[in-house]
Amino acid sequence: MEPDAAQNPSPVPPPISAYYQTRAEHHAVVSSDWLAHAAAAAAAFPPGADAADAAALPPPPSSPGAGGGVIEEFNFWRRKPEAAEAVAAIMALAAVIRSSRATTMMELEIELKKASDKLKSWDATSISLSAACDLFMRFVTRTSHLEHEKFDAAKSRLIERGEKFGEISLKARKTIAMLSQDFIYDGCTILVHGYSRVVLEVLKLAASNRKLFRVLCTEGRPDRTGLRMSNELAALGIPVKVLIDSAVAYSMDEVDMVFVGADGVVESGGIINMMGTYQIALVAYSMNKPVYVAAESYKFARLYPLDQKDMTPAHRPIDFGVPVPTGVEVETSARDYTPPQYLTLLLTDLGVLTPSVVSDELIQLYL
Amino acid sequence: MSHKKSRGRGGGGGAAASGDGHEDLARPPPLQAVLLADSFTLKFRPITLERPKVLLPLVHMPMIEYTLTWLESAGVEDAFVFCCAHSHQVKEYLEKAGWAGKSGPGSMAVTAVESHDAISAGDALRVIYDRGVIHGDFVLISGDTVSNMSLKDALQEHMDRKKKDPLAVMTMVIKHSKPSILTHQTRLGNDEIVMAIDPETKELLYYEDRADNSHLYITIDKDILNNNPTLQLHNDMEDCYIDICSPEVLSLFTDNFDYQHLRRHFVKGLLVDDIMGYKIYTHELRSGYAARIDNFRSYDTVSKDVIQRWTYPMVPDVISSRDCSESRLHRQGVYKASDVTLSPSAQIGANSVVGSVTSIGDHCKVLNSVIGEGCKIGKNVLINGSFIWDNVIIEDGCKVSNSLVCDGVHLRAGAIVEPGCVLSFKVEVGKNVVVPAHSKVSLLPQPSNEDSDEELEYADTNSGITDSPPFSSMRSNGDQSTVPLEEDESGTSETGTCGVVGYIWTSVDTGIVEEWRQSIAPIPKEKLEELLHAVSDDDGSEDESNNPTLPDKDDSSDSVVEDDDHISKFEKEVEETFQRALGGGVNRDNLILEINGLRLAYSLQHADCAGAVFYSVMKSALVAAQSTNDTLLKTTADALGKWKDLLRNYTKTVDEEMEILLKFEEMCQETTKEFSLLFPKILPYLYDTEVVSEDAILRWAEEKEHADESDKVFVKQSEGFIKWLKEAEEEDDEEEE
Amino acid sequence: MPDVQPLVSDFVLKLKRRKVEGSHAVARQTAELLRSVVSQHRMGSSANQAAALADAVRAVGEQLIAANPIELAVGNIVRRVLHIIKEEDISSTAVGIEGLSVTVDSDGEYDSEHDDRPALSAAVLAAHARNALRAPSLQTLLEDIPVSPAISRTASSTGDSDGKSKSAGDKSSTRKLKHDVIAAIGDLIDEIDSCYEPISEQAVELIHQNEVILTLGRSRTVKEFLYAAKEKKRSFRVFVAEGAPRYQGHVLAKELVEKGVQTTVITDSAVFAMISRVNMVIVGAHAIMANGGVIAPVGMNMVALAAQRHAVPFVVVAGSHKLCPLYPHNPEVLLNELKSPSDLLDFGEFSDCMNFSTQDGSPLLNVVNPTFDYVPPKLVSLFITDTGGHSPSYMYRLIAEYYSADDLVVRRKATS
Repeated sequence: MEPDAAQNPSPVPPPISAYYQTRAEHHAVVSSDWLAHAAAAAAAFPPGADAADAAALPPPPSSPGAGGGVIEEFNFWRRKPEAAEAVAAIMALAAVIRSSRATTMMELEIELKKASDKLKSWDATSISLSAACDLFMRFVTRTSHLEHEKFDAAKSRLIERGEKFGEISLKARKTIAMLSQDFIYDGCTILVHGYSRVVLEVLKLAASNRKLFRVLCTEGRPDRTGLRMSNELAALGIPVKVLIDSAVAYSMDEVDMVFVGADGVVESGGIINMMGTYQIALVAYSMNKPVYVAAESYKFARLYPLDQKDMTPAHRPIDFGVPVPTGVEVETSARDYTPPQYLTLLLTDLGVLTPSVVSDELIQLYL
Repeated sequence: MSHKKSRGRGGGGGAAASGDGHEDLARPPPLQAVLLADSFTLKFRPITLERPKVLLPLVHMPMIEYTLTWLESAGVEDAFVFCCAHSHQVKEYLEKAGWAGKSGPGSMAVTAVESHDAISAGDALRVIYDRGVIHGDFVLISGDTVSNMSLKDALQEHMDRKKKDPLAVMTMVIKHSKPSILTHQTRLGNDEIVMAIDPETKELLYYEDRADNSHLYITIDKDILNNNPTLQLHNDMEDCYIDICSPEVLSLFTDNFDYQHLRRHFVKGLLVDDIMGYKIYTHELRSGYAARIDNFRSYDTVSKDVIQRWTYPMVPDVISSRDCSESRLHRQGVYKASDVTLSPSAQIGANSVVGSVTSIGDHCKVLNSVIGEGCKIGKNVLINGSFIWDNVIIEDGCKVSNSLVCDGVHLRAGAIVEPGCVLSFKVEVGKNVVVPAHSKVSLLPQPSNEDSDEELEYADTNSGITDSPPFSSMRSNGDQSTVPLEEDESGTSETGTCGVVGYIWTSVDTGIVEEWRQSIAPIPKEKLEELLHAVSDDDGSEDESNNPTLPDKDDSSDSVVEDDDHISKFEKEVEETFQRALGGGVNRDNLILEINGLRLAYSLQHADCAGAVFYSVMKSALVAAQSTNDTLLKTTADALGKWKDLLRNYTKTVDEEMEILLKFEEMCQETTKEFSLLFPKILPYLYDTEVVSEDAILRWAEEKEHADESDKVFVKQSEGFIKWLKEAEEEDDEEEE
Repeated sequence: MPDVQPLVSDFVLKLKRRKVEGSHAVARQTAELLRSVVSQHRMGSSANQAAALADAVRAVGEQLIAANPIELAVGNIVRRVLHIIKEEDISSTAVGIEGLSVTVDSDGEYDSEHDDRPALSAAVLAAHARNALRAPSLQTLLEDIPVSPAISRTASSTGDSDGKSKSAGDKSSTRKLKHDVIAAIGDLIDEIDSCYEPISEQAVELIHQNEVILTLGRSRTVKEFLYAAKEKKRSFRVFVAEGAPRYQGHVLAKELVEKGVQTTVITDSAVFAMISRVNMVIVGAHAIMANGGVIAPVGMNMVALAAQRHAVPFVVVAGSHKLCPLYPHNPEVLLNELKSPSDLLDFGEFSDCMNFSTQDGSPLLNVVNPTFDYVPPKLVSLFITDTGGHSPSYMYRLIAEYYSADDLVVRRKATS
C-alpha cells in the first residue's frame, strides 16, 4: 500500500485522483463546463481524458514492466459505466492469469502479486481497487493451498471465478437493496449524500415496492453528484429535495435516516466516502438519527486510518465560481473518514453488519 | 406438503356432543352456547335482504366471527348457531371459515341449527329445546355481540348461585357506563335501560329498556318495594346481551310459547309474573368490553371501539378471518394492509383501516373510516366517518361522509353521499349525483307488507336492476317519505349514469326522529341540544322517581302513568286477538296466553287487561246485534255468558272488577253509545255471571257519589239495583250477626 | 403429517388469541411442537431427507410466526431447529460416508471446490456444507457456491453418494438423522427449561455486598438472578419500579420479600429520582435483537436513559432463546403491540368520552397502550445469557453460532 507518486498517471501537484476522474466520467451531471474548467485546472492532464465518452479515452501511459497490460485491461473495464472499480481490477487480474505462461501455482502467484501491486500503485487513491486486488490474491493463495488440485484445473477455475466477478458485484447490489427494504418504512424521509450506485439501487427497489418515502439529496460539491442522484430519483417518481451541502444540519430534523454509500470500508468499521459524509454522520449522530451505509463487501479494505489525514489523499479540482486569489490554499481532498461510532449499521451483501463485525470479517480473511 | 385445515367433517360437532354425554359423571357437562345468528329485527334493512346481519363485516371481519372467537376463548366447548334468515349463507360461512366440523382438544365444536319458521328469539330457543342438545348451563348470545370479557367469574358466580338456589336460572351480564341518557343515546342509539338490582344478592328486580325520554319517571310495582328492603336503581348500566342460562330457561320458553323477545317478554315476564319463583341475577362487568350491535349507530360506535383496541385481542392487526395479507397498525391508529396502493399525496387520517389490494388515488382524504378490500378509490375523494366494504369503486372527486357503502357499490365521478346514507350491495350512483342524507338505497324493492316483524329471507327476489327515477324525483322521495313504490318504477327513463341504479327506500314507520337516532351520521346540533335539555329536565325529577312513594297511593293507580295512546293500542290488539278467537281459530286457553303476552309486551296490569277484554266482548256483541235494543241486550247477554270465564280470569280482585265497570261506563259515554240505555239492564247480568262482585259495584257507586253530575248518569240509572244490593248486603250482615 | 396438524392449528390459535404469551412459555411450546412435527414426519424415499424434514419444519414455522409476529421467540426456536437439522445432517453424512467421525472444525483448512466430482472426499464435502451454515463472508465471496441453494446442493450430493452405497444403509442413516434431530431438540428444550440456572450462577460475580439494584416490572430471569445472589448470602437492596399499567412489579416485590430481600417499590416515574442511589440496573427482556438492541417491557428505555445519565451499569439478563437474529426496523411500531386501553382506563367511566356521534365522528379521547420499548444497544452495558456475559456488539457472534444465515427468513421454498 505504499503510494508511489512516480507511477501516478498525472504527476502534476495536486494530482487529480484517477478514481474520481472515472467517477466523474460515470456520473457527471454538469459535465461540459466543469470539464472545461477541470481541463484548465489540470493543464498537464492529457486532453483526451476529459472527454465524457469512455471509448475515446486512450489508455493512460503505462509504466515499464511485464504487467503493463494490467493497467490497460483495468482501464478498459473501468470505462464501462455499470462496472465497479473492483470488478475492473479483478477482470484485469484474471486477464493476467489467462496470458500467464507460468507452470506452477507458485509462479502464477508471484506474477499476479506483481500485477496487483502495479495496479494498486497506479491509482493509490482507489480503495476498492486495492481491496479487490487483496481479495483476489487471498483467494488465489487459498486455492493454491489445495494440494489435491491440478494446476491447469486450478488456473482455469481462477479465471472463471474472476470473470464471473462482475455478476457477483451486481448480485451484491441486489442483495443489499433487498436487505435494506425493511429499513425503509412508509412516510420516512431519507437523506442521501452524493451519488452511489448501491444507494440508488436501494431506493429504486423501495420505490418499486410501493414504499412511500421522500429523499433529501445533498448537492455533493464539487462534482455535484447529488444533482445526478436527484435527477435519477425524480425520474423514478420519488419525491426529492436538493440541499446545498451546508444545509444538512438545518434539514436534519425532518430526516428519519441517512443512507450513504462508501468508497471503502476500513478495518475499524468506519467508512471512507465522499467529502462531507463525516459531517453528515456527526450531525445525524447528535440528533439521534440512524446512519446506514450501503456497501458491497469487496470494498472492505485492510486499512486502519487513525484520523482524517491518515489516508492516501485523493484530490480533485474545485470550482469556486470565482477565481481563487493567489496565495490562498485550497483543500482539494475528495473524501473523508467517518469513524465507526457514528455509523448505525452497514448493509452489505454479507448481511446487515454492525461496524464491529467488519473488523471481525477482515481479520478472519487476512489473518 | 400442503397443510390445509381439516374441514368438512360436519358430524364432528354432534359426535363430540354425544360423546360428552358419556362423561357426565366424571366431569361437569361441557359449557355450551346458543348463538342466535339472526337478530329478528329490521334495523339493518335493506342490507339484510341480501346478507344476514351476522355476516356483515365489522372492521373487515363478519360480526359472527367476533362472537364465535369470543365464545371459544371464553371456554365454550359446544356452540349451536341458530340460523334462520339466509341460513345457507351462515352455514356456508361457518364451513368456509373453518368453524364447522372442528373438533379436538381445546377447540370449540360449532353446529348449525336451522329453522325457517322462527320469527323471534323465543321461537329459536324453542327449536333448540326441541332438538334436545342443551344439557347444562349455556351462554345465550346474539351473533352480533362483540366482547372480550372473561366469562370465568360470571360463570363461577352463576354455578355457585345455582347450587344454593336452583331457581336462579339466568345471569345477565351488564356493564357500567356513564349515567347519562345522552351517552346511551349517542353511543349506541339505544334508549336508556333502567334496572333495579338488589345490591346484596345482585338479583334483578326490575328491567325497563323502553324508558322513553318523554317519560321522566318510571313505575315500579309496589311489591318489589315491599319485598326488598334494599334496592338500587341503575340507569348507569348497559345490557351486554350476554346471558348465562340454566337449561330451565329453554323449557320456560317452551312452556310460555308466547314469549318472543328475550328481554321484553322473557325477562319482564319472569320478573313481573314470578313464574315458579324463578329469578334472574346480574353480573357486572369489571374489566373487558362487551357491546351489541343493534343498529347503525352502534355499528359505528363498536367499529370505532374495535379500532381503538378496546376489544383486544379482537383487533384488525391481531386476528383476521381471511387469509389475506395481514394488516399492521401504524401510528395514530391507522391500520393498513401491506399491499395497499397508496398515492403519496393521499392522506389517511387517524383511526382508519384500509384493507388489502385497495388503491387510493392522489389527494384523497380518508378520515375515521374503514375501507374494505379490493376497493378502487380515485383522485380527490373525501371519505369521512364512513364504512366502505369490499370491492367498492369510487371515482374521482366523490365525497362520502358518515355513510355505509356495501360491497360492489359504484360511485361515479363527483357523486356525493350525504351523512346517514346506506347504499346496499351493488348500487350505482351516477355522475355528480347527490344522495340526500339518511337515504337507504338497494337493488331490491322495499317489501310492501312492512308489518311482518321478521327478518325473513327474501324469498322471491325479482332483483332485476331497475332504473331509478331521475334524480330530481329521488330527492323529493327522500323528503316526502311516503312516495309509493310504483312511482319509483314508473318513472324510469333515465339511464344509470346520471341517476341512481337501485330503489330508494322510503323510511319505514320510523319517522325522521328515529333516523338521526340510529344512523351513522353524527347527531345534529339542535337534536343534541334537545336531548341535553331533556336530560337537564330529567335530573330534577329523577330524584323523585328514585324514592318512589307509590305505596301511599290508591291501589287502583298502580299503573297510573301510562299514556292513553299506549293503552288504546293495546286494546286494539286485544280486540284483534279476540276477533280471531271468535272466528274459532284460537281456543280459550290460548287466548288467555296470548292476551297475557300482549300485556307483558305493553307492560300493563291485569286491570288494563280486564278492561280491554271486556271492551272486546261488548264490541263483539254489538257487531253481532246491530239492530233493535232488545236483540242487542240479548246478544250482549249471550256474549257475556260465553266469555264469562275469560272475563273472570281477569277479575280476580275488586280493582279489576272496578276497571270493568269504569270501562263499561266509558264505553257507554264515548265509543258505543248503543249500550248507554242498556246499562242498568246489563249491570245485574254482570253480577249474575259473577264477572263483577257486589263489592265492586258498591265501591263504584260510592266513588261516584262525589263525582260530577254528568259522571253520575249511570249510577243513577242503576240506582235500583244498587239499592237492592245494599239491602242484600245488610241482610247478610244481619244474618251473620 | 396429518397427525400433527391439529396440534399445530391449536397452537397457532393459541398464539393468535394471545393465549400463550411470554417468551419462555412460547419458546418451550414451540420447541415441543416442532419435536412432535419431526417425530411424526414420515421419512419418504426421496433422496433429500434433511431438506424434506427442514421443509416440514419450515412450513409449520411459517404458520407459527405469522400467528404472532410479536413473539420473536417462536421464530428463534424455528430457526434453531432448522439449524439443528442441518448440523445433524452434515455430521451424519460425514459419518455415513467415511464410516468414522471426522472432525472438521477448522473449516478454513478444508475449503474446497468439488466441480470435479470424483475428487471430492467426505471431509471436503462436510467442510463445505459446514461452511455454508455460516453467514456469508468475504472468504466465500469468490467461491462458486451461491449461498442460499448451498444446502440443497450439498444435500442432493449426499443423496447421490448414499445412492451409490447400499439402500439398507440409506434407511438406517435417515432414521438416525431423525433420531439425532429429535434428541437435539430435546436438548434445546432442556436448555430453555434450565436457562435460569447458568444465568443466576453469574449473580454472585455481579451483585456485591450492600449494593442497590433497580429493576422494572417482573421478569422471571431477574427474579431467579436476585434469588441466587440472596442464597449466596449477599445482602443487597432492590428498588422495584412497578411497571405500569400491568403492575407486575408489585408481584415481584412480594416474591422478593418472601425470600427476605430488602425491597422498595417505586413508581415508574420515580426512576430518575432514585437512579443516583442505584449501583446497577438489572432487567429482563422480551427479545435481544441482532444489533444488541433490546425489546423490553414498556418503560425500559426510560430506565436505560436514566441509567446512562448517571453512568449506572444497565444489565440485561435473558436466556438464549430470546436471542433474535433479526434487526429491529422501526421497532417502536413494527415490533410492538398495542393492548387494550382497558388496562389504563375503565371503559364505563369514560364511555361518555367515547362518544362518536356528537362530534364529527372522531373520538377526542385516544388511549395508547404499547407493550414494549426498544432500548438501543448503546444504552446496554452488558448482556448476561446462559453462555456468559457479552457486550451488545458481540451479539452477532452468538447469533452466528445458533442460527444459519439462510434461515433468517423462514419461508417455504416454492419447490417443496
